[in-house]
Amino acid sequence: MNARTWTGYAFLAPYLLLFAAFVIAPLFYGLGISLFEWEMLSPAPPRFAGLANYAEALHSDRFWKALYATARFVVLCVPLTISLSLAAALGIHATPRVRQTIYRAAYFPPTIISISVAGILWRWFFNSEFGLFNALAAPFGVKIPWLSETSLAMWAIVLMTLWWTLGGPIVVLLAGLNQIPRQYYEAAAIDGAGPMRRFLHITLPQLRPILLFVSIMNIIGSFQVFGQTFMITRGGPEHSTRVLVQYIYETAFTNYRMGYGSAMSWLLFAVIAVFAIIQFRILREDLQ
Amino acid sequence: MKRLRASSTLSGMTAIAALGIFAIAGAGCRHSDSQTVALRFWNGFTGPDGRTMLAIVKKFNAEHPDIQVRMQRMDWGTYYNKLFVAGLGKRAPEVFILHADNIERFARAGFVRPIDDLCAGQDGLDVSDILPNVWAATERQGRHFGVPLDVHPFGMYYNKTLFRKCGIVDAHGEAAPPRTRDEFMDALAKLTAAKKPNGDPQTWGMVFTWLRTNAATLMQQWGGRFFTPDYSACALNAPENVAALQFCVDLVQKHRYAPPPETYDSWIGFRQGNVGIVFEGIYMLGDLRRQQDLDYGAAPMPQIGPLPAAWAGSHVLCLREGLDDAATRAAWTFIAYLSNHALDWCDGGQIPSRASLLKTDRFQSMPAQSEFAKALPHIFYMPRVPFVFEFQTELDIAVEKALRRTASPQAALDAATARVNEIIARHTAWSAAP
Amino acid sequence: MVRAGKWAWAIDVAVALGALLAIAPVLIMLFTAFKPESEILHFQSLLPRTWTLANFREVLGTPEEIPIGRWLFNSAFLATATTALVLAVDSLAAYALARLRLPGGRFVFVLIIATMMAPGQIMLVPTYLILNALGWLDTPLALIVPAGAGAFGVFLLRQFFLRLPRDLEDAAAIDGCSRFGVYARIALPLCKPALATLGIFTFMGSWNSFMEPLIFLDSIDKYTLPVGIALFQSSYGNEYGLTLAACILCTLPVIVAFLFFQRHIIEGISLTGLKD
Repeated sequence: MNARTWTGYAFLAPYLLLFAAFVIAPLFYGLGISLFEWEMLSPAPPRFAGLANYAEALHSDRFWKALYATARFVVLCVPLTISLSLAAALGIHATPRVRQTIYRAAYFPPTIISISVAGILWRWFFNSEFGLFNALAAPFGVKIPWLSETSLAMWAIVLMTLWWTLGGPIVVLLAGLNQIPRQYYEAAAIDGAGPMRRFLHITLPQLRPILLFVSIMNIIGSFQVFGQTFMITRGGPEHSTRVLVQYIYETAFTNYRMGYGSAMSWLLFAVIAVFAIIQFRILREDLQ
Repeated sequence: MKRLRASSTLSGMTAIAALGIFAIAGAGCRHSDSQTVALRFWNGFTGPDGRTMLAIVKKFNAEHPDIQVRMQRMDWGTYYNKLFVAGLGKRAPEVFILHADNIERFARAGFVRPIDDLCAGQDGLDVSDILPNVWAATERQGRHFGVPLDVHPFGMYYNKTLFRKCGIVDAHGEAAPPRTRDEFMDALAKLTAAKKPNGDPQTWGMVFTWLRTNAATLMQQWGGRFFTPDYSACALNAPENVAALQFCVDLVQKHRYAPPPETYDSWIGFRQGNVGIVFEGIYMLGDLRRQQDLDYGAAPMPQIGPLPAAWAGSHVLCLREGLDDAATRAAWTFIAYLSNHALDWCDGGQIPSRASLLKTDRFQSMPAQSEFAKALPHIFYMPRVPFVFEFQTELDIAVEKALRRTASPQAALDAATARVNEIIARHTAWSAAP
Repeated sequence: MVRAGKWAWAIDVAVALGALLAIAPVLIMLFTAFKPESEILHFQSLLPRTWTLANFREVLGTPEEIPIGRWLFNSAFLATATTALVLAVDSLAAYALARLRLPGGRFVFVLIIATMMAPGQIMLVPTYLILNALGWLDTPLALIVPAGAGAFGVFLLRQFFLRLPRDLEDAAAIDGCSRFGVYARIALPLCKPALATLGIFTFMGSWNSFMEPLIFLDSIDKYTLPVGIALFQSSYGNEYGLTLAACILCTLPVIVAFLFFQRHIIEGISLTGLKD
């Protein structure tokens, strides 16, 4: 190995040290826990159970129902988030610089608000008897059971999530768009390329690594949805919005079944990994 | 110029950060006075409750210079997480509050110290003064694991303005809270007589706020049990429970006295003055008092079923396992003080657990609390089993399904019973394991 | 940007409408905090009939019980320190992964991304036990150092570094610049929008984090603002006015930080060499 490689590892070292201590170690600790029957409510000490926890999860209809709720959320939310944020970022980018600042200052603040407050706010919005949305709709004779219909509740969560999380991808995509050298566009305009061709041949390729980032982060984050459902519906009605992370949380922290909770976390991890890999393939990335 | 800016900003921030870390780490070292015992007291009393308790703690600290109590509070959900994790790391606080339902679990996990010896010892407490059914709620395998600070039973809040308007009054024209089933149904009918164009009543007769406690109370009033006496099997689908649940369903679906339930925000409807009757715990009093334009009344839980019954919970003062003598003595002094000064705490919307305090003029003059206290002879707690939370989840789901008409009460309770029996089997297997 | 004229106005309207929908709930929050409690429950109008500072006064009012100033300082300090750590450590690692052809570099990158998919809840207890063993519980280190291990920053910056035109770096290397010099003097400044973006996200993430400060800190004095705010959320009925007022106080500093970083996000680059 030459000096260059040593320098490279030196660059990586600080991060890798932290990563090993605070990501790898806890993860493998968690993996270890998942192989044990560790129930705080049992008089017996934790004992090795092999894959028993995983088997219990895969046979549990509560687990599958929770996974289904999570999957439903991902399917409804992720495509909307990516397409809307891309559209918004492109739209904002097309406006003069001065107004860009104002627009950014409008789209981003929702993301700053913490989930607990955002949850309380939107729970009030959606309340079918006394909430804001139905109060505004009342003059039209419309009363929507936002949170009490199993078919609607998840859409309510998605709506709230879009409001809450679009700001992040928009800002990232805008940063990416701003980083595309103007010269490329000017050259293309001189060559007579129209807006669609410029988009397809300059913007999209330049934006691809950042788009990949945004979509991966969004998928990973969406599979781990918890705060919104916990604050707004508590998993109701009838557990239709009880996402997997909430089920894991209740299992580990309310029913004190640490081993079982850990196993379900690793199952979720596996599911996320599959989808992330698929995403990587779709937005295939060419490394130099 | 600009190329330096990024790195100089970075280095500037890093320098500040480094200095700051050392400053705060240094400031964090506290030298405790060897004469003063420092106690940490954790609880979930946020909002007005918390302010009341904080005032009592301040008074204690002033009167006991050799013991300093530092109180910490957060909402109950996160409180129990933090308490649990702290217990795992052996950093639990010296004194903490547990709901009576939680004692079984925390005691099993080894986080709570039994206190019978402290009650009997010097500066002890007269346990015969504590209401028997409340004292029993802290018991586990013959030992008691905390001193009940209070008892908060279920009761009835009603909107006096609506009662007067709808003619539910006594001989003097004052709002008359119902006490029997007939009076209750009559009141609901009168409250919902006027209708809106879409068929909904102008004002609702009642709302279901916390489904679990509402349903459990009515089930007990119908004489149903949750478990067989030896807790070997779940009895949720007993005919009495089914009948009680059917009654709840009828209130919503058949008579349309109550709106379909949708989480606990139904409470807001009562505060806004759109609802005549609501069954809730005495702990909601603080919230009601903030509603200045609401003329509310409080009354004990009416007897709607064949038997009188009301759900109750308690906040129990607990001691951590593994404290040394000095800390134990100090913590016990604090606990005894809180128990003796329970009336200060109850001002905010609670009922004392000690018979002597219940008899005082001061308590009797608390209008809502003294009314709710009339139900004390008939209160019940949630079953004292380690899987009480999983049981409650099943009960919640069954009640929700029945009220939303996704399943009949019989089917919903059958499903819940089956699941709880699985849970019982799992727990039995652990106890049998070597 | 050069766009066809006839669509420009439609785009403008759509973007403006979206902005309005996004900011409306925030404004509602703002206005509701200035309403007295009775008005909050009986919703009459968006704007308060009676403007009142009562909620803010109550939140700020009792410093011995609710040391808002102390919490504000803690949050600001922790967020700044975390951001500094993340920017420094993550940019080094991201540059190495993007530009320096390292044996095993691909593997490390995949590993980092993979671990990002693990749900946070399950790491909570093991991390707590590790921090306990290190003796870092109830100190700022428990919140700053583990945050440096997040994969978000490395991933984000790597993607941006990949997009940089290589000519500038190659030119500098030929001129005799060290690897670190190329990184510090060329790559970093060119990635200012990305750094600023990461900065604001890290700052915000640290500011809003709730579970970790709650579990890893014991003393009231050391809490961060969001944890302190949670004290206002009563299980028995919400004091909406107070909660919203406290939230606004909590959010303002982040907005200030955002406006500060925004300036850097806007700046683009030009191929006519370094701008001075």
